[in-house]
Amino acid sequence: MTSRLRTLFSRIGSLFSRRASDRDFAAELDSHLALLIEENMRRGMPPDEARRLARLRLGGSAQLQETNRELRGLPALESFLQDCRYAVRTLRKSPGFTAVAILTLALGIGANTAIFSVVYAEVLRPLPYANPGQLVGVFYSKPQENIPPEGFFYGDYLAFREQNHVFSEMAGVVSHSLTFTGHGEPTEVRVLDVTPEFFSLLGVNPLQGRTFVSQDGISGGAPVVIISENLWRGSLGSDPNVVGRSIILDKRLFTVVGVMPADFRFPLITPTQDVWIPLAQDPLFGPWMSRRGGHWLPLIARLKPGVSQAQAQAEMDTFAVNFGKQNPNEDAGATFGVMPLQTEFVGDVRTALFVLLGAVGLLLLIACANIANLLMTRATSRAREMAVRAALGAGRKRIVRQLLTESAVLGLIGGCAGIGLAYWGVTALTHMLPSNLPYAIRVDSGVLVFALVLSVAASFAFGLAPALFSTDFNLQESLKQASGRSGEGSKRRTRRNILAGAEIALATVLLVAASLLIRSFASLTTVSPGFNVEHVSRADVSLPRFQYATQEQWAAFDVDLLRRVQAEPGLSDSALAAPLPMNGTANLAFSIVGAAPPKPGTFLTADWVSVSPGYFHVMEIPLLHGRDFAAQDSFTSAPVTIISESLAHTHFPGEDPLGRKLVSAFPPAPALPREIVGVVADIRDASLAKKPGPMMYVPAAQGPFWGSEIVVRSSLSTSAVAGAIRRDVAQMDKDLPVTDVSSLSDLVDTTIAQPRFRTVLLGLFAALALLLAAAGIFGVISYSVSCRTQEIGIRIALGASPSSVLRLILGESAKIVLVGLAVGVPVALGTARLLSTLLFNVHPADPFTFVAVPVVLACVAVAASYVPTRRAMRVDPLIALRYE
Amino acid sequence: MTPFKPENKLDDKSDILQGTLDLMVLKTLDAMGPLHGYGIARRIEQISEDALQINQGTIYASLVRLLQRGWISSEWGASENNRKAKFYSLTKAGKHQLSAETENWERISSIIGRVMALAARR
Repeated sequence: MTSRLRTLFSRIGSLFSRRASDRDFAAELDSHLALLIEENMRRGMPPDEARRLARLRLGGSAQLQETNRELRGLPALESFLQDCRYAVRTLRKSPGFTAVAILTLALGIGANTAIFSVVYAEVLRPLPYANPGQLVGVFYSKPQENIPPEGFFYGDYLAFREQNHVFSEMAGVVSHSLTFTGHGEPTEVRVLDVTPEFFSLLGVNPLQGRTFVSQDGISGGAPVVIISENLWRGSLGSDPNVVGRSIILDKRLFTVVGVMPADFRFPLITPTQDVWIPLAQDPLFGPWMSRRGGHWLPLIARLKPGVSQAQAQAEMDTFAVNFGKQNPNEDAGATFGVMPLQTEFVGDVRTALFVLLGAVGLLLLIACANIANLLMTRATSRAREMAVRAALGAGRKRIVRQLLTESAVLGLIGGCAGIGLAYWGVTALTHMLPSNLPYAIRVDSGVLVFALVLSVAASFAFGLAPALFSTDFNLQESLKQASGRSGEGSKRRTRRNILAGAEIALATVLLVAASLLIRSFASLTTVSPGFNVEHVSRADVSLPRFQYATQEQWAAFDVDLLRRVQAEPGLSDSALAAPLPMNGTANLAFSIVGAAPPKPGTFLTADWVSVSPGYFHVMEIPLLHGRDFAAQDSFTSAPVTIISESLAHTHFPGEDPLGRKLVSAFPPAPALPREIVGVVADIRDASLAKKPGPMMYVPAAQGPFWGSEIVVRSSLSTSAVAGAIRRDVAQMDKDLPVTDVSSLSDLVDTTIAQPRFRTVLLGLFAALALLLAAAGIFGVISYSVSCRTQEIGIRIALGASPSSVLRLILGESAKIVLVGLAVGVPVALGTARLLSTLLFNVHPADPFTFVAVPVVLACVAVAASYVPTRRAMRVDPLIALRYE
Repeated sequence: MTPFKPENKLDDKSDILQGTLDLMVLKTLDAMGPLHGYGIARRIEQISEDALQINQGTIYASLVRLLQRGWISSEWGASENNRKAKFYSLTKAGKHQLSAETENWERISSIIGRVMALAARR
C-alpha cells in the first residue's frame, strides 16, 4: 500500500518539474546510446553502422520519452491542462465567436442565477432557526365548509400543550399593530404577540438582553417588550443602555428586556416585525385569552426528536375528533392540520417563482442551442485540423475530450460573466419585487454553487453534440477538401436545422406563457373595481386601546374627526370606512330573519364594512335602491344595514329586500337584527382578481372600530390632504399616528404588484428568447446558403428565376419554423395549463395567443432569413461555379 | 475506414510481463550492485542467453515504476570510460520487496511444477 502512495506522491511531485525531468531523461538516453555505440564499435562495426544498430536496439527515442512522461506524471491531469491552454488559445484566435458565445452564456446563466437566488432565499433555504425541519404550524380548518386555515383560541392552546405527546414545545403567535410614541412623530409598529415559549421554541438568541421567560406570560404581570435591532438603531438611536429602558406602545409603558438581531424575523403573517410582546400584554388579544371560542391564535410547534409529521397529524386528528364530540356546534367536522413551517411561509409567491425559474431555464436551453450551432460552424472550418490530429494518432475519445474541454472553458468563462450579471440582476430584482417577501436576497455560497454547476451542465449541453459530430467523418475526404464550400452533405445541415427548430419550439413555449400573462395582466388592470379610484386619498388612524377602550369613545372620535376634516377647504367630500377595499376583508356569518335556516353545518357569509354616511358618494359606488346612512342612524337608534347587489340577488331573488332584517355582528359584539335600508352596486373589495361577492355595510356609529381609514375625494394632492388630516388629528390628540397615507389608485396598484412583476419578467425572457431564436435562424440559414452556393449557381445557370431561389431558401426557413411550431405548440398548451392559477380572465388555450404567437414567430423567421436570402438571390453563377 | 488508431497504451503488454521485468531488474541490481540502464539491460540479455532480446529502451519503464515505488534510487555518476551515466541502486525497501517476490515466485513455480508433474503422470 505504501508503495502505491509513494507512487502517487511522486507523480504529483513530478508535475512541477516536467521540463527538468524531460531533459534528465534525454541525457540518460543519450548516455545509454553512447554506451551501445561503444559496444558495437568494440565489436568492430564501422561508426555509421554502429550508430544505426544502436538506435534500433535502444528503440525510438520519441516513443521512449512519451512513455517515460506518461509513467512519470499524471497523464490525465497533464493532458487536461494542456487542453485548457490550447482551448484558451483557440478562443482568442476567433474573438468574434468567443464574444458572442460568452455574451449569450452570460445572459442565460446570469438570468438563471438571479432568479435562483430569489427562489433559494425565499423558498429553498432552510429557515434560520434551530433544527428547522422539526418546526410545524398547527391550524384549524373546515374544508367542507370552505373555511380556510385559521387559528385556535387560547383555551385550545393550553389543552394541546397539556395533552399532546408529539411536540416538545408549542407557542402561539398573532400579529398586531400598535402605536409607538415618545420618539418624534407618532408611528405604528408591527407587533408580534407571542406566548413566552416562542423564542426558546425557535432556538434563537438575542443580540442583547434576554428573551421571554414563563413569568412574562402571566396576565397582570409587568409589561415587557423585545425590540428589533432596526428599531433600536433607528428610533432609539443605538442607545447602549437600551435594555431596561421603557418605550410607549399604545400609550402604555413597556420595559425593554432584549434586542433581536436584524436578520431575525418570523414571516408567518407579516414579513418583518419591529417589536415582540407577550400575548398577555396585548390590549386587544390579552383579554381574549380568557374567552372561549373564536379562531384568532395561530400555533406553531416543534416535533419531538424522532417524531414524524405524519405521527403528529395522526394525534391531532384524534384531538379533532374529541373536540368535535365535546363541542359539536363549533368543532364538528373540523380538521386540526399540521404543516411544515417552511411551506406556511410565503405560500403565494412559490408558484410564480417556479414559473419564472422554468422560463429562465428554457431561455438557457435556447442559448445553449445557439452556441451549439456556432460551435458546429466552427467545427466545419476546423475539420482539417481534426483530420490531421487523427492521422497523427489521436484517438476519437481524446479529440472529443479536447473539444469538451474547450466547451468547458467557454462555459466557465461564460459562467463567471453570468455571475457578475447576476449580482446586478439581483439588485434590480430587489427593487422590482413585491415588498412583502421576508428574506433578503443575496448571491451567497448556495447560489454560486448553482451557477457553477449550471455552467458545467451548459458546457455539456452545447458542447457534446458538436464534439461528437466533428469527429464523425471520413479521414481521406477531409484531408482532400479545400474548404467547406461544396458542403459536407445534407446530414450536417439537417442537424443544425433541427437545433434551430428546437429553439423555435422552446421560444414558442416562452412566448405563449408571456402572452397569456400579459393578456391576463391587461385584463386585471382594466377591470373596474366598482368604485372610482381617481382623485381619492386615504389615511389610517388607529386608536390605542389602552386609552380609547370603549365603543362610545371610538364613535365619538369618529364623529369629531370627520367633522374637522370635512370643515377643511377642499376636503368636504370625505368619509370613514373600516376596512377599505383592497386593504383586507372581514368575512362574517349572517342570517336572514324570516327565511328558511341554512343547511346544518353551513353558514351564510358576507364581507362586513363599517362606513360613515357619504362613503358611497366619496367612492362613487352607485346607490341602487333605498337610502344611504345618515346622522339619524346613531348608536342608540334602530340598527340598520345596506347590502350589496349580489347579496340582494342571491338571497332576495325577485323581491324587495328593503325592510327585511339581517342578523349579524362583529364579535365580540352580540348579533343584532338590522333592517335593510339600501342596496348598493357590487364592488371588488378583496382584490381585482376576485369576483364581487355579497357585502353588508353598517353605519360607523352603530359598529365603530378602534381605528378607521379616512377616504377623501379632492382635487388636492395626496400630501396636501395628508397634511390637513395630520393637523386635525394632532389637534385632537397629539400622540396619534396617521399612517398608510396614499392615493387610492396606489393602494389598488400594490395589490397587482406581484402579477406585474412576473408579467414584466416573463415578457422580458420571452423577448430575449425571440431574439436568440431569430439569431439562431439567421445563423442556420446563412450557413445553409453558403453551403449551397454552388447548387444555387447551377440552378440560376440552368435558368431558375430569383423568385424560385427565394422560395428555395425561404422554404427551408419555413420548414424549420413549422417543425418547431409542431413541437412547441402542444408543449405550450401543456405548460399553459400549469399557469392557470396565475391567469385572470384568460383561458389557458386562449385562441388569440395561439394564433398570434405562431404568426409572430413566422414573421421573425422571415425577417431573420432576409439577408441570407437576398445573398442567395444575388449569387453570380459564374463566380459560384468557378470555385471548385 | 476508421481514421482512429487505438490509444497508445502500455497495457498492451500484459502486466505479468511487466512485473517479471521489474523483478529481474531488482535481482540484477541486487547481484551486481549499482548499475546504469545500459548495464542492467545488457546483464538481463546475458543471463537469459540472449533469449530475451528486448528493446533495451523498455527497461526504462520498469526503472520509472521501481523509482516511484521507492525500491530503487538513482544518482548521476561516471561509468567505466568516465562517461556520465545515471546509476540505479537497490534500497532497503527494494531488498525487502525482492526477497518477498522471490519467495512468492518460488512458491508459485513449485506449485505449478507439482501440477504439471501430476498431469504428466497420467
